[in-house]
Amino acid sequence: MKRCLVIDLNRCTGCDSCVVACKHENGIGLGEYWTRVATVGPTGKNPDIEMYWLPSQCQQCENPQCVRVCPTGASYRDPATGVVLVDKSKCIGCRYCMMACPYGVRSFNEAEGVVEKCTLCSHLTADGSGEPACVHNCCAGARYFGDLDDPNSPASKAIAAANPADVHHLPDPQDSRPSTAYILSPKIATWKELS
Amino acid sequence: MAIDTTLSRRTFAKASALTAAAAAIGVSMSDLLVETDQAYADSAAETKVVKTSCHGCIQMCPARAYIENGVVVKLEGDPDAPVSRGSLCLKGINQIHTMYSPRRVLHPLKRAGERGENKWEVISWDEAIELAATQITQAIDKYGPYSFFSSVGGGGAYSFIEAMTMPMALGSPTVFEPGCAQCYLPRYATSALMWGGHSQSIADNDVQEIFRPIEDNKTELVVLWGAQPSISQTAESGRGMAELKAAGAKTIVVDPCFTPDAAKADHWLNVRPAADTSLLLSWFRYIFVNKLYDEEFARYWTDLPFLIDVETKLPVEAKDLFPDYQSPTPANTPAYVCVDMNKLAGEEDRVDKELSADKLAAAVAPFPYSLPKDSPVVPKMFATVEFGGRKLKTAAQIYWEEAEPWTLEAAEENCWVPAARNEAAILEYANAKVGGIVCGVAAEQTPASSPVIVGCMGLDALMGYVNKPGCTLTTYGEGEKNNPTKRPVTFVNGFDGMFSDMYGVGAVIGMSPEENEARINAFPKEQQELMNQIMIDRLGSVEHKGLTSWCHSHIPTVLEAIKTGEPFKPRVWFDMSGNKLAMLGNATSWYEAFPEVDFIIGQYPMLTSFHIEACDLVFPLREWLEEPQVNMNQLGSIWIQNECTHIGETVSHSIPAAQVLERCREKWGGKLPGLIPGYLGAPSEKAVKEEVAGKFGAKDWDDLQKNLDTYVPKFIPYDDYFKYNQHEVIVDDGLPAGFGTESRKFEAYVIQYIKMSRTGYPFFYPKPQKPASADYHPTCFFLEPHETPLEDKEYPFAITSGRVPYFHHGTMRHAPFARELYPVPEVKINPADAAELGIAHMDWVKIESRRGEIRGRAYLTEGVSRKALWMERFWNPECFDESVPKEKQTAGWRECNINVLTKNTAPFNEVFGSYTNRGFTVRISKDKKPDNVWVEPKEFQPFMPTLQSEPVTEDVF
Repeated sequence: MKRCLVIDLNRCTGCDSCVVACKHENGIGLGEYWTRVATVGPTGKNPDIEMYWLPSQCQQCENPQCVRVCPTGASYRDPATGVVLVDKSKCIGCRYCMMACPYGVRSFNEAEGVVEKCTLCSHLTADGSGEPACVHNCCAGARYFGDLDDPNSPASKAIAAANPADVHHLPDPQDSRPSTAYILSPKIATWKELS
Repeated sequence: MAIDTTLSRRTFAKASALTAAAAAIGVSMSDLLVETDQAYADSAAETKVVKTSCHGCIQMCPARAYIENGVVVKLEGDPDAPVSRGSLCLKGINQIHTMYSPRRVLHPLKRAGERGENKWEVISWDEAIELAATQITQAIDKYGPYSFFSSVGGGGAYSFIEAMTMPMALGSPTVFEPGCAQCYLPRYATSALMWGGHSQSIADNDVQEIFRPIEDNKTELVVLWGAQPSISQTAESGRGMAELKAAGAKTIVVDPCFTPDAAKADHWLNVRPAADTSLLLSWFRYIFVNKLYDEEFARYWTDLPFLIDVETKLPVEAKDLFPDYQSPTPANTPAYVCVDMNKLAGEEDRVDKELSADKLAAAVAPFPYSLPKDSPVVPKMFATVEFGGRKLKTAAQIYWEEAEPWTLEAAEENCWVPAARNEAAILEYANAKVGGIVCGVAAEQTPASSPVIVGCMGLDALMGYVNKPGCTLTTYGEGEKNNPTKRPVTFVNGFDGMFSDMYGVGAVIGMSPEENEARINAFPKEQQELMNQIMIDRLGSVEHKGLTSWCHSHIPTVLEAIKTGEPFKPRVWFDMSGNKLAMLGNATSWYEAFPEVDFIIGQYPMLTSFHIEACDLVFPLREWLEEPQVNMNQLGSIWIQNECTHIGETVSHSIPAAQVLERCREKWGGKLPGLIPGYLGAPSEKAVKEEVAGKFGAKDWDDLQKNLDTYVPKFIPYDDYFKYNQHEVIVDDGLPAGFGTESRKFEAYVIQYIKMSRTGYPFFYPKPQKPASADYHPTCFFLEPHETPLEDKEYPFAITSGRVPYFHHGTMRHAPFARELYPVPEVKINPADAAELGIAHMDWVKIESRRGEIRGRAYLTEGVSRKALWMERFWNPECFDESVPKEKQTAGWRECNINVLTKNTAPFNEVFGSYTNRGFTVRISKDKKPDNVWVEPKEFQPFMPTLQSEPVTEDVF
């Protein structure tokens, strides 16, 4: 199983509702985030410009760097679902994982002294029925959740419906193999390889 | 109400230790969770999931509230909602924080120090009502009813009808709101006058056709003219636009700023702030010259081919030019006059092809109303002709003369949109089979409100984008408008003309003069005369008669009256919503007038700058999670805004005014000095609830709540809701229904504007109003902003405004999860301008206008043109937060509030008196952060919610 998010950037309008839905659902403190939305652009010269938004959260890597560096085994990838999680009872707050994560999407919970991250709202989705709060409330219908090994999951269907050339992943210099895919058509904007 | 015991994050955290162990031995996590969940469920509180609607903006997306022991713990969108489809934006989700904000006002407050000191005493409801009623009755006894006034607007309060009608009950004409002429009234009123139908606004749920489910949706093209659905109404019309785009519809966005909707659009026209009129006229010109318009619709269903008397500016009727002419249509459907192409054999009807005056004069003919196929004439669009000693031009000819100077190149020079870019957009618009314009609030935030709206409506009429599948101007809904059986008529006084029959005022458009006279004479005289007098005496109503559509006063004229006492002095003020200092143009001018007002009453769920600087008494209101209401309509489905919980002594929005009026009545021995029924608003929660229950067809509130899933949503049968070509349906007089206008046609040349400017007709009837100083323009016309960057050397930038997704009007500035993401307003500036001024990205800057100065942070972007700036409204409740030392506190409206800069002086829009919220000039320079303004996420800790422990309380009234 390979659960993750697929995000259609042709739809995303950068409204930050996913950020706030996530924070309320998961009780995240001020200044801490499990998901953020970056504005890419506008690039070009007024008025010939383009812009898109890049929501970033755990990319659910198949070969996660955060798990590799964790000294206590607190960070792990659930073999049943493919979801990368933190066992907070084992986390000692050393934050190696935060440095190792190529995407900067882990968050330090100051109150509890542990590292946290997107769980794909596992408390809602563990039995396969629910959906993460960011997906449910997304104001552009841009976020899809599901198992990429299941062709009938919303995430798989979104990729299947897209032009293959429009399906992108974040840069992967360390062979982390991020599962999360982004869909962006050059009609909206050209994909930028952000470092 | 379903019972739900899903695992919360708390239990997931507990489970995760087990999960790790499970992972080690290869057991699936979900197996373990079942067990954990059960253990949790045994001890957990019952969680109810209740249907409600968000009220974070006016679109009211259906939502679900999760309630644990009376505390709302979670909100999410309702997936069954037809347009929002389960979306809920952060304004809605953050209600959990504002509902339980430590800054909620839970009890009536009486000012304990000087105005501005922020010192309050908690008093009982009885004391509060007594205090308000005493002040009102004493002022009216001493100075007369005109000493009372009310206001509303600013977000997070819903008292539009209540603010309109409380002064009526007291016999006063004075009510205003910072929206109104600056938001929606001009579109609302003008659309009623032009075609008797809805406006091109999507924010106000007027346009619904383009959001139909994709399988039924025929929309090919939408022009968003100064509208920003993805940031203003993110979860509803934003979601609707996302679905429409995904289905392949094209969009054109006209906006000085590269908005999210512009980023998705096929064409972005980067118009200079408030320079829309030259752009609009260039569209008219191009469409006229290249004959891209829908000739049949323009000829037979609009008034554009009517011959207009150049002197009177009104269309001539056939009986005026041809005394023996017998009209085949009834008196409520006049026959007009045109130039008949049948008498001009072999000639073309083109704007660039003039015919000799003699030839044209010989072709002048009566133009009776009929279906196109039954018309005895083929009316010519463009002509100037002398006939019977009168100089006549077709309405289209008059339009052409307004548009003629605005070539693509001339428009580029004025409004900065490159000619080729503009041309590509016009062609996309005009070559679509069906399409339509969405006209946003930007139009109304400048003195060009009426010409921009008339232009946007007129273009769709010219293109025949009317009553067709996929057009924004397509009639829908229940009743006679959508299923015509009679000649359509339009009532104009108040929302849907609600005051016309209530008090016997206003002519009904579409009735003959005789029918109108008979109708008006049938009303009792006393109420009619009082209402008519109130209308005539309303501040600003001589010059700006369009305000009468909502019975509203002209804001700058009210301010002048407060300051000077001329023609009368408003002295006791009941405001029914949020932060007036953040929402009113030129806020300082209002602040300076507060000492002239004897007593000021506010009502809101929290204190704002206005309450601190101005109010003597504040009533505590319910938040939307506490107040029962009926949702706005999503594609013919109606949803509830539910009472999910209730804390403190807060009440629904209509109750304070109702209770105060009742106390006034007692003091006056059982009688109020104003109109009857006067105030329209429920006096108790029971009445509020019964009204809501009634709208869903439930027996009572208990029945509604017990059977919520049965009653909500309520559907209007879908096939009945969307219909097309209604104007062609033959009705009981044997004629096609047409439109609810005087001519029964779509009046792209706004005949009623001309009449209104002279006598106030159709609003001021039977008794006319004095004439305005000049006739209103019946077409779109060029209007350069009074302060223009084309000439201003001292203040060289044109600034405009627009929303960000985090806030609606003045709301949510105390929502910590909104503020940590957008702590202070950003000033968008082109990087080349910023470089010249030594301003770097996220530098603090000072922005100065001729009215004042404020601060914000620079946001460098190619998304605005050079010499253009963009900034959203703001105010800062942290400036007076109790966590800030008293001596450092301010009222939070001077720091970052663009309304310190905006212009509320003449020139105003001629019809509606709209002043200048956008498109004025400023200068910008590098500066420092103001004291007290919070920027870092952790600074917002004092706003984090604390009131979940408040007991759930009973209704106060």
